[in-house]
Amino acid sequence: MSEVVLEVRDIVFSYDDSPSQRILDKISFKAQKGEFVSLIGPSGCGKSTLLRILARLIPPVSGEVIYKGKRLYAPTREISFVFQDFALLPWLTNLENVKIGLANSEISEEEKKRKASGMLEKMGLESVADYYPNALSGGMKQRVGIARAIVSDPNVLLMDEPFSSLDELTANALRGDVVSMLKSSDISVNSVIMVTHNVEEAVEISDKIVVLSNKPTKIKQEMQLKLSYPRNRHSKVFMQAVDKVYELLTK
Amino acid sequence: MDFISFIALIVLDTTASWLRMFAALFLSILLSIAVGIYAATSRKAERIILPVVDIFQTLPILAFFPFVIYIFVFLLPGYIGINAAVIFLIVTSMAWNIIFGVYEAVKVLPNEFVELADLYDMSSWQRVRKIFIPAAMPRVVEQSVLSWSIGLFYLVTSEIFSIGNANYAVKYGIGVALAQLAFSGNYLYYAIGIAVFIAFVVATRFLFFRPLELHFTKYNRVSEESKKHFALHFGIAKAFNYLPKLVRAPAKRLRAISAFRRARHPAGASRNAGAHAALPREGIKNLKIKGLKKGLGGIAALVLAMLLLAVVLRYPVVVHYEYEALVSLAVSFARIWLAFAAILAIAFPVCVYLIFISKHRNSYLLFFQVIASIPATILLPIIVIALKGYALHSELTAFVIFFLSGIWYIIFSVIASSTSISGEIFEVKRLFGIKGKSAWKYIYSRALLPGLITGSVTAIAAEWNASIVAEYFTTTGISGTNVVSSVSVGIGKLLDVSLGSGNITLMIIALLNLTAMIIIVNTFLWKRLYRKVSNTYK
Repeated sequence: MSEVVLEVRDIVFSYDDSPSQRILDKISFKAQKGEFVSLIGPSGCGKSTLLRILARLIPPVSGEVIYKGKRLYAPTREISFVFQDFALLPWLTNLENVKIGLANSEISEEEKKRKASGMLEKMGLESVADYYPNALSGGMKQRVGIARAIVSDPNVLLMDEPFSSLDELTANALRGDVVSMLKSSDISVNSVIMVTHNVEEAVEISDKIVVLSNKPTKIKQEMQLKLSYPRNRHSKVFMQAVDKVYELLTK
Repeated sequence: MDFISFIALIVLDTTASWLRMFAALFLSILLSIAVGIYAATSRKAERIILPVVDIFQTLPILAFFPFVIYIFVFLLPGYIGINAAVIFLIVTSMAWNIIFGVYEAVKVLPNEFVELADLYDMSSWQRVRKIFIPAAMPRVVEQSVLSWSIGLFYLVTSEIFSIGNANYAVKYGIGVALAQLAFSGNYLYYAIGIAVFIAFVVATRFLFFRPLELHFTKYNRVSEESKKHFALHFGIAKAFNYLPKLVRAPAKRLRAISAFRRARHPAGASRNAGAHAALPREGIKNLKIKGLKKGLGGIAALVLAMLLLAVVLRYPVVVHYEYEALVSLAVSFARIWLAFAAILAIAFPVCVYLIFISKHRNSYLLFFQVIASIPATILLPIIVIALKGYALHSELTAFVIFFLSGIWYIIFSVIASSTSISGEIFEVKRLFGIKGKSAWKYIYSRALLPGLITGSVTAIAAEWNASIVAEYFTTTGISGTNVVSSVSVGIGKLLDVSLGSGNITLMIIALLNLTAMIIIVNTFLWKRLYRKVSNTYK
């Protein structure tokens, strides 16, 4: 647990129309190999913006994103992204949507199809491969979204409130599946960085919680969680951890 | 002519044109309020009015202009007749979407309002005045802005058309004045005239429609704010942001129709409409399509019956006319679709560039919006002059006019529909590095397809509208009518020539063929295509 996979250094971000007002103010943290990091903070504090900067979907005003010791300037195949609202292309079938994750790979069309089908099967979606996303429930859509994100064997997975568009029961089921899949050794993802505003969710699945403050957004505190998986939401240690995060957030 | 009197004259001419426009707008609003409220409050009326309005708004009514002129001049003394014809024509371009606006605004009123009226024992007239009209006014204003720009195209084209027909000349108007300037070789004044025209367009938007909008939307300012289509920083661009709406109107209609096809609820399930906010819309869609089918069947039957009757009565001339009309229609069809292909070949890459690649979309938009506010036919005189002397110059003129009449509709429709593409799709493209061929295959072509289809309907209708001047263009000189530009065969030319020779039978047959063809193409090509696309996209 010592090798740093992804590191952000002094990220500053502000919108073009008001450069003096900083949305993100000197954010720095590290994600280590095998680590599951949650970024938690009040609504509108710029969590999603920060995650998009990590993926280099948007450039920061200043600061660096460093992946395995090299500075990043553009999205890389090694770092993948799961969107809050799934971002599936409505005109492509679910299988084709997963294949989009391999658009940039130099493998044959046959191979892409085989890999995408395999990934859908792993997510329990093989029966809807040839349907369009509009035929699926929210939970299934997000499974397709996750399949697309990991089909290209990325090293780091960024997730932007992946369960917040789903109802409580669906979110719980998918969260459980995602955690056990990410902890298992048969997929390539080493580190996960997830943005959430749900404290229980963060405590349930993270090794480390980074608590953000608002206006401007800074890092308030980093908190290591050394609980074993699967975590019981009703255990005393769990509830203590939850209380502590709430305390940090409201302080 | 010295500069001052030139400016005065051009301003007077434009004012004359604008008077026609305001008269037409006023009449359109009166008509729309009456018809729209009637359709929204009577089920029987609804079933007839909606499908008829839906068909009329996709017909290239300008092609009926020679016919309308003939009728009006026949009925009313010369100068009044021609102006009445122009105003009538503009009304037929303006009214349809205002009718739909009034209808929808009244239809979605909560049932409580009707109950309230019952409670206070209001008369029908009181209901109309106190409830329906105030409820409909914001939509009336919104739709009027669109209607104005459609009307401008009709106005200019009908004015340009009239200059070649000494018996039917409008005499005063910006279209007339500009054509005369161009043909007298006064290109500088011609350019200044176009600038004056644009100034009038901008001023009307700011000084007439903007205050009306503010007045009638003061109850729902919030939704007004949320209606920003693009981040338009420029005040002037704001004034023009009705243009994307213009092409969105038919899109809305197509959407409503396709949504109906998907809905499983039987028609009339929402009898108790007002009680549930979501239900009445469903009801609207149901009715629309059911009536539409009947309306289509009715019109087709009518066309057939009239043709048969005519054939029986006037055989063999009618058969010859029908042959002539079909050949002309086929040739014009080829010409218009060739120009349409050229439009797609240029507009589509431009749209992809503007939407997916350019970082200065808003500045380009401003440019396009100002350009698009000029009806293409106002450029006809200068295009004719510029192309004179080239081989096939009449064909070239027609092609250029068709091209310019249609291209803006495609660009604006695609850009307007692109605002509904979620921002995440742009991110998916970057994240997974989708470039080159795959980007065209998986993203561009698919994401822009709905806008492309709705834009195509309006673009092609605009081309057919332009055909009466693009295919056959005449001016009147001392020695009589000069044919300045004329293709060998074409439906626009056929209509013009039949007016000139007073052959009303031929004109009616040509119009029936044109109408039938437009309805067939819209029903079997565009509506089908749109339904197919929108079913998978939702």
